[in-house]
Amino acid sequence: MQTLRVALVQLAPRLGDLEVNLARHHELLEEARGAGADLVVFPELGLTGYQLQDLAGDVAMRLDEPRLARLAGETRGLSAVVSFVEESADHRLFIAAALLEDGEVRHVHRKVHLPTYGLFDERRFFAAGDVLRTVPSRLGMGVGLAVCEDFFHLSVPHILALDGAHLLINVSSSPGRDLAATHEVGLGTATSWWTLIRTYAQLTTCFVVFCNRVGIDESIAFWGGSEVVAPTGETLLRAPLYDEGVFTVDISPEDVRRERIAVPLLRDERPELQLRELERIVAERAGLGHDTTAEPGAEPGLDVAPESPPHEPIGFRAAGR
Amino acid sequence: MSADAAPAPVGGTEPLFELPPELEIETDVARRVIGEFIRGQLRQAGFERAVVALSGGIDSGLVAYLVAEAIGPERLLCLLMPYRTSSPASRADAEEVVRRLGCASEVIEITPMVDGFFGTDDVPGAGGPDASHASALRRGNFAARMRMAVLYDRSVTWSGLAVGTGNKTESLIGYTTLFGDSACAFNPIGDLYKSQIRQLAVAVGVPEAILRKAPSADLWPGQTDEAEAGISYPVLDRLLYWRVDKRRSPDELAAMGFDPALVERVDRMVAGSEFKRQVPPVAKLGPRTAGLDYLYPRRRPGSARA
Repeated sequence: MQTLRVALVQLAPRLGDLEVNLARHHELLEEARGAGADLVVFPELGLTGYQLQDLAGDVAMRLDEPRLARLAGETRGLSAVVSFVEESADHRLFIAAALLEDGEVRHVHRKVHLPTYGLFDERRFFAAGDVLRTVPSRLGMGVGLAVCEDFFHLSVPHILALDGAHLLINVSSSPGRDLAATHEVGLGTATSWWTLIRTYAQLTTCFVVFCNRVGIDESIAFWGGSEVVAPTGETLLRAPLYDEGVFTVDISPEDVRRERIAVPLLRDERPELQLRELERIVAERAGLGHDTTAEPGAEPGLDVAPESPPHEPIGFRAAGR
Repeated sequence: MSADAAPAPVGGTEPLFELPPELEIETDVARRVIGEFIRGQLRQAGFERAVVALSGGIDSGLVAYLVAEAIGPERLLCLLMPYRTSSPASRADAEEVVRRLGCASEVIEITPMVDGFFGTDDVPGAGGPDASHASALRRGNFAARMRMAVLYDRSVTWSGLAVGTGNKTESLIGYTTLFGDSACAFNPIGDLYKSQIRQLAVAVGVPEAILRKAPSADLWPGQTDEAEAGISYPVLDRLLYWRVDKRRSPDELAAMGFDPALVERVDRMVAGSEFKRQVPPVAKLGPRTAGLDYLYPRRRPGSARA
């Protein structure tokens, strides 16, 4: 039975210090290789730290950056996922995760959902990616990459799975918060993430890898707790909270086939139905379509009307009403 | 340092304090996060040592224990800074913390500094003849700022960062002296309500005498926080938790059983003290202004002390 060894690197990057973090990535990649890893996953912005603010431009790398090529050069015979600030040719800055394989940058995912609420301010400093793609990997599995908040949107794991993923990889810098004894390990963030990871594994029948950083940026403590969950929803690895380290587990890619035959959820997905309904909903939310199930006076995109509908300024009236 | 997490009675049958269930935390997790935070703040600033102003109360006592746990007691200096009216019991409690931790400590009387400004019955002070009639509030604030000045002086001589000891409850209602007790390089307990401070203090082993006594700013004899605010900490903590952390409206709080007049009063205290929790505004004139469109982490490459 063929197995693959996955290594999760719970790293505490040095904020804004690309050189130190690059050196650390080289070291830890070698450590993981020494532990027999086929896939080594580093956390979101592991090469730069998270709370960058105006430092984002200073630590950004183009995809032809020699230092990135040197790091990729260390991946002969294995796969790695690393994350950094990517600068595009037109000088937009993205939070990127790259799949490095056999010495090359094989694929780059630009974070699609940038949280800008609560303690997050990503839209201020970064551009949002526009592409979700699953790519083939030397592991013999389709790989779908996502970054942190991307997984707080159902559509991301869903689309990546439909696009051919066997393995979903989420790299994160998740700030630990909501300390309360009522939560599973006393930390609301951990419960919330582990619930999502397990749910996505079951619903997409993919392996799901979650690699979360540790350490401190400013006020924020990142909580680690990285996971590997099987397509059945079984947790194969749960790394400790707050500890830096390399944590490994073996997975059997065959489990994807077994689970998809036993529980053919992906077979039974109806993307064409979703597409049809989504087109309708998009039109209605834009006020360009008539919602046949909406109460009179309901605002575009809603079915329920307020008790006393507000006056609708010109331009807000749905077509056909 | 014991790891007894429950607020169970130690010896007697009387519970040490009332812990509202929604405020209960996993103290192991809190200690881990706070330990990482303290070590991280010091490392990023290029410091290895810390200095704490120890009043004999629970907040600064807890901070001393947490700092000692995070970096070792040999790197901690505790400053005891009594005024002539300060409670002798507070001093004894602070000394007990120092004794148990085995950390360095120094006693610096602030009486000459405070009396030197306000004067005494016999000698006028630097603050002029009217200063001798100053209110307790003025004197209390001045004393807090003298302690701050000493704390920052010792921060230099000890080569340690000044660690904040203010809690979330007092910060939210503004029960602090601006540039006084709230001044610090970083604050490990500023996001914990008083009830949570008590829970954590039990877990790290802060002496029971400190856990049991009524919280007091000790600005004048017999003063207690709860008498001055007219609210008990468990009620105030719960009110603030639902109002601030859980974003409940005054109507929703009333439906939960909170006295609407109390909710309104606490709302005013929170809104009225907003200025104490923020960096003072700078008039925007140039292209890039700190805090507005010049936004850097406090600690970045090059900012650690060499």
